[in-house]
Amino acid sequence: MISTQKLVWPLLALVAIAQSAALFDMVYARDRLLKSGQEVTLAVKPLDPRDIFRGDYVTLGYDISTLTKSTTETDPDFTGFSVGAPAYVTLASGPDGKWAETHVGSRYPSKVAPGEAVIKGRVKQVWQDGNNAVTNVIVRYGIETYFIPEGTGRALEDKVRSHEVKAIVAVAADGTAALKGLIVDGERHEDPPLL
Amino acid sequence: MWSPYKNRLKRDLERWQSNGWVSGEGRAAILADVESSGREFGLAPALGILASVLFGFAAISFVAAHWEDMPRLGRLLLLLATIWAGYGAAGWLVVRGHPLLADAAILFSSGMFGASIMLISQMYNISGNPSDGVLMWWIGTLFAGAMLRSNPALAFAMVLVCTWSFFETSEKNGVHWAFLIGWALVTAAFIWQRWRPGLHLSALALAMFVISLGYQLSGGHQHGLVAVIGGLAAAAAVAMEKLEPDLDAKLDHIAAPLFAYALAVAFAGLFARQFLVVPPLVDLIALAAIALVLILAAIAYALSTGNRGALWIGYIGFSAEILTLYGVTVGSILGTSLFFLVAAIIVSFLAYVALRLARQSAGRGRPA
Repeated sequence: MISTQKLVWPLLALVAIAQSAALFDMVYARDRLLKSGQEVTLAVKPLDPRDIFRGDYVTLGYDISTLTKSTTETDPDFTGFSVGAPAYVTLASGPDGKWAETHVGSRYPSKVAPGEAVIKGRVKQVWQDGNNAVTNVIVRYGIETYFIPEGTGRALEDKVRSHEVKAIVAVAADGTAALKGLIVDGERHEDPPLL
Repeated sequence: MWSPYKNRLKRDLERWQSNGWVSGEGRAAILADVESSGREFGLAPALGILASVLFGFAAISFVAAHWEDMPRLGRLLLLLATIWAGYGAAGWLVVRGHPLLADAAILFSSGMFGASIMLISQMYNISGNPSDGVLMWWIGTLFAGAMLRSNPALAFAMVLVCTWSFFETSEKNGVHWAFLIGWALVTAAFIWQRWRPGLHLSALALAMFVISLGYQLSGGHQHGLVAVIGGLAAAAAVAMEKLEPDLDAKLDHIAAPLFAYALAVAFAGLFARQFLVVPPLVDLIALAAIALVLILAAIAYALSTGNRGALWIGYIGFSAEILTLYGVTVGSILGTSLFFLVAAIIVSFLAYVALRLARQSAGRGRPA
């Protein structure tokens, strides 16, 4: 610990302010993303039901979590996709209100139609399906975890099984995505913004 | 200084006094000096550090419980208040002349900083990269440790750098080279602080990183490279001790521990190269012979320089090598009896080396 007592208080204040500012910046950036980001709703598909509700958060799976060759037009062989690399998925809202991918690429797409949203993810796994030589890519977007109060996991698990659950996702202009809340049977569950 | 040294000195002083080499006043003066100059790591600071660790776990559990009775903003403000309270307590303790307890308070605040990051991640359902949160945590802790010159906070920063690297490595295949940046920054702070235990922590972290390279580079078949890196570092330590003793003394005798860590890295690489890769038997025998010769050389060198750490690593390496070789060769072409013959020859050689070294040092008038 510092021995010069004259400097103790200013230095302590500097450290406390710097750490508080870093935390505030984290809150502010997230809050802005939730407020200003383009809103996209994605259908939640349960993974292995036993595995989903570990502890006090829910792991959510999406259709765009697993991309196969047939789901993409322009980057058909997933060239440029390696584990840890970014993946950009363009989403468009269909006539039934369902959002689905229209383009997958390892770089930000050059053309984005109005109303479309580009979501950025990180490649988690790439593998070849042996029988029909299909390349599969697992992508994580940072919207796969939904924290819930202690002990309420079981009830939510039943809901995901028997009801239609959608995730509300805010997407920033650069593709960063944030999970806003869940829609269970058309009912929005969402925390109000902090700031 | 720690008490084992004091106890030993007390015993030695009694013998020296009875031999007439040290007077009664001399003995009392030496003991008084050791009592006063030794920065005794008292019970209160030790308990303070432990309490900080417990507070940290309490805060993390508090965050994990996702307690809904308190609004989110309230929970965040509560954690922010504990950060500020910790730093406030640190200032108060420094002014009152308890710098070690102040260190515990700073460690407490660093833990609360991490708990706050976790709480914000949870409030906003940020799952993406747990490593990003740990990255922010270690930077904040390093900043606090460097600004306030607090060694426990710096040690904690090094632990967080390792945790960060572990997360990053598990996220993607391949070596997490950015670890070296974090490692270098925290190590620079340790050097600035002239804190030797911290440098041991740095050496341990770097040794683990180099060993992990063997499991990550080119599909996990680069254990030979790890052995070479360790061997070169050990050679550098020997060269420094023998050729540049003045430089070594200026650097607070850094060569001896460096040799011990380098030896551990070299042996870990050699061990994995022999027994995890499963080379052909001829290669295995050649590698085992190289490994045993190098271990014996290292033990001999450690004995001649009084390097206790390296000596222990040598003994452990020797035992591990012999036991694993035994397990691998039993029932194979080599056969059990041949194995014991080889082991016996090696141990006899070791005994011979030890005898010669003991005679040498006795000849110089030093008890072995």
